Amino acid sequence: MTEQSLDELGPVDYVVVEFPAGASNFTGEMASELLALVDSGTIRVIDILILTKDENGAVEAMELSDVGELGELEALEAQLAELLAEEDVEHLAAAMEPGSTAGVLIWENLWAAPFASAARRSGGQLIANGRIPIQAIIASIDADDALTTEGE
Amino acid sequence: MPLRPARRGRVGVIRAPIAKTAVVAKAVTPGAAPVARTAVVAAAVKPGRRRRI
Repeated sequence: MTEQSLDELGPVDYVVVEFPAGASNFTGEMASELLALVDSGTIRVIDILILTKDENGAVEAMELSDVGELGELEALEAQLAELLAEEDVEHLAAAMEPGSTAGVLIWENLWAAPFASAARRSGGQLIANGRIPIQAIIASIDADDALTTEGE
Repeated sequence: MPLRPARRGRVGVIRAPIAKTAVVAKAVTPGAAPVARTAVVAAAVKPGRRRRI
């Protein structure tokens, strides 16, 4: 990757989506929504893995191409970059419950790339980022409400 | 693990075992109480809301 293209790279995120045993209901809806994000230029999918953890905690990883009929995801699969290494599998699977299956998705936030580039050109550097869980927002609201009630 | 050979022997990008996050679905799943919760959270992040400091 050239220096210029590195400068234009958007932030890269990942999610691990777990499907507890017996809870999966794959209708193609997830694939459609993912492709919509790709087609709109919002994200670029970098890598996908499917993990399974048996009741004894043993983990297996599968490539997307090993899933079988990919349908709409076939074009996407051809563009994957295989960023994840074998040693990442155990680290990612640490969050999984025994008996579950999980999808790991790595993507570049194309929507954020122009802003990130502008920030870098302006002399800024990223020193922190993160995600605020909904539970933390609820806790904050509850605390706020409690203070309001006390003040009445 | 039937991973492609290119994934073997490389340094990973996930540096340590990850912890399970709180299951957000339980906080926002439609139902009697959670629906109210969803509305409250939506109100908390609506445009124009100001902090009280």
